[in-house]
Amino acid sequence: MDDLIRNSETINQLLARYGVKFGIYKNGEFKEQLFPFDPIPRVIENGEFRYLEKGLKQRVDALNCFLSDIYGKKQIVKDGVIPEEFVFSAKGFLAPCDGVTPPKNIYSHISGIDLVQSKDDSWYVLEDNLRVPSGASYPMIARELQRRSAPDVFSDNSVLDNRNYAEWLKEVMDYVNTGGINVILSPGRYNAAFFEHSYFAEKTGAVLTTGKDIVCEGDTLYYIDYNGRKQRVGAVYRRISDEYLDPMTFYEESLIGIPHIFEAYRKGNVALLNAPGNGAADDKGIYYFVPKMIRYYLGEDAVLMNAPTYLPYYEKDMNYVLSHFDDLVIKDVAEAGGYGVVFGSSLTAEKKADFIALLKSKPRRFIAQEVIDFYDLDILNESGERTARKADLRAFVLTGSTTKVWPSGLTRFSRNPDSFIVNSSQGGGFKDTWVLSR
Amino acid sequence: MGIITIDKSDHLFWLGRYTERVHTTLKYFLKTADLMIDSDPDSYAVFCQKIGIADVYGSSENFKQHYPFDENDSNSIITSLHRAYDNAIVMRDYIGTETMAYIQLATDDIKNAEQSNSMIAALIFVIDHILAFWGCVNDMIDDEQIRNIIKLGQGMERLDLYLSLDNSVDDIKRAYQRMKGFLKKSGLRYDESILYTIDNMLSESEFDHDNVKKLLRNLIMQ
Repeated sequence: MDDLIRNSETINQLLARYGVKFGIYKNGEFKEQLFPFDPIPRVIENGEFRYLEKGLKQRVDALNCFLSDIYGKKQIVKDGVIPEEFVFSAKGFLAPCDGVTPPKNIYSHISGIDLVQSKDDSWYVLEDNLRVPSGASYPMIARELQRRSAPDVFSDNSVLDNRNYAEWLKEVMDYVNTGGINVILSPGRYNAAFFEHSYFAEKTGAVLTTGKDIVCEGDTLYYIDYNGRKQRVGAVYRRISDEYLDPMTFYEESLIGIPHIFEAYRKGNVALLNAPGNGAADDKGIYYFVPKMIRYYLGEDAVLMNAPTYLPYYEKDMNYVLSHFDDLVIKDVAEAGGYGVVFGSSLTAEKKADFIALLKSKPRRFIAQEVIDFYDLDILNESGERTARKADLRAFVLTGSTTKVWPSGLTRFSRNPDSFIVNSSQGGGFKDTWVLSR
Repeated sequence: MGIITIDKSDHLFWLGRYTERVHTTLKYFLKTADLMIDSDPDSYAVFCQKIGIADVYGSSENFKQHYPFDENDSNSIITSLHRAYDNAIVMRDYIGTETMAYIQLATDDIKNAEQSNSMIAALIFVIDHILAFWGCVNDMIDDEQIRNIIKLGQGMERLDLYLSLDNSVDDIKRAYQRMKGFLKKSGLRYDESILYTIDNMLSESEFDHDNVKKLLRNLIMQ
């Protein structure tokens, strides 16, 4: 492990050399910055990973069943398991997707499930990301470089290889492909995750596009080359949000989408990964119901726990939230990326009163959770000393012919000692995640 | 890879052009900086005039400080390098992470040179990495068309600069033949009659450099 620490600066230099960056807008200006890498990995024992794997597969399978159901028969709502307000009025529920079945009936092909480990070693799911979860590329390339910088560390520790992610991703794209090439649709150079889009295109052999060179004719997508020749597109791993995907169906002023792509998808002529409309299942309000949907669809108890969560929508929960306000973290269900998160204890009396008034007027908009005391992980601080920081784990679950959990993940940590917010957009860094083979 | 769109061919072409602009202008800058030591302190003004940029520098010292390093100067070498990077980063899937890395390294070099005690000497490292980039283009990009479009951009820029900098007729002819070779192999559409006209012009012992430059601008058809 000392070798990894000693070579930390070299690894960060190499990450810069390979353009491992993320974009951020500050004061209206685009800046590219390095994603700070910490050399001390998160280590997950094999037995623990098998437990997580079981729980994550179960969770993602249930979420896929849920999406298929709510855009199909809607049985879970009819059976009263989830109130319809939480499904059909959710921002992520897209009416145009109603009645549309994606190729192979898979909605969430690439799922990013955020977990934390509490100080008693229990794992909790914090949120499900089923739209465009990002981050797998970072540990993938960091591992490649660390293996070069400290080979003995890897021969002495039996670490499962995580560099197969691109192969898995390609397998999923190929599995749902309706005939034609695979493309990765990116908003372009100034997107925060552009490094990842271009890196996956390179590693999977898919064509990277911003959509300008794709047309839809006769409800079929084609990629047009320099000489005007057309090549059919069978699968689109899209890294743009639902609302921008197709100006003819969603946000009509979108300049980054592909006109009529949704029609091609609706007719089954192209696979979209992930399917549009998945936001209905990763809504922070729906999160509360995931253990119930696991029981409902799979007839099993959830292996992985949710963080204890309250829905102010229910009167009993509202009363609890109001009486324990200072002990809870309140999250706006429409926000992501660490935004819209308020720790009750951090508010002044005046702000607290304002917030409670808002909570009472829009109870569906918020969830409240017990603050989990995360297990801190050691990082190297700027002086090169070990120091403990809050960290989470984004696990990647891929669904093609089967559902598989990538034996790694993106461990993000807060660089600020007083913060629980680990997001890269808010200054967080990342670590590799080792899963031991024994 | 097999499929090159208009957009991608444009990025590949300009990647070649900007990278070559960095290479050739840097070599001329180093030559001019040497002249400014003791032979011709004002030679920077001639340099500006030849490559067609406004002399906003005012003094040789300012020129040495700003022309390579000033990110706010649209004509500076670092600005050309940023443009090369902008075109490279969107073509990672075509040129590969390894090849792209050399543009990043050249950018790091120029920034390090600015902080160095021997700014001018340290710029030589930029040339090293640009040459390594070209080595990578040759060695690691399997698709011939991709290679040829990037090298067409390189050849076009070199020819344009040689015409501006009044290189020898032999240099210009060599650069022209080289560019023409890549053009024919690039798969891009071009105006054959322009090549014919330039061929004729270059067969004369003297020719109007500006006219050739104008013709080159319309050679490749979109």
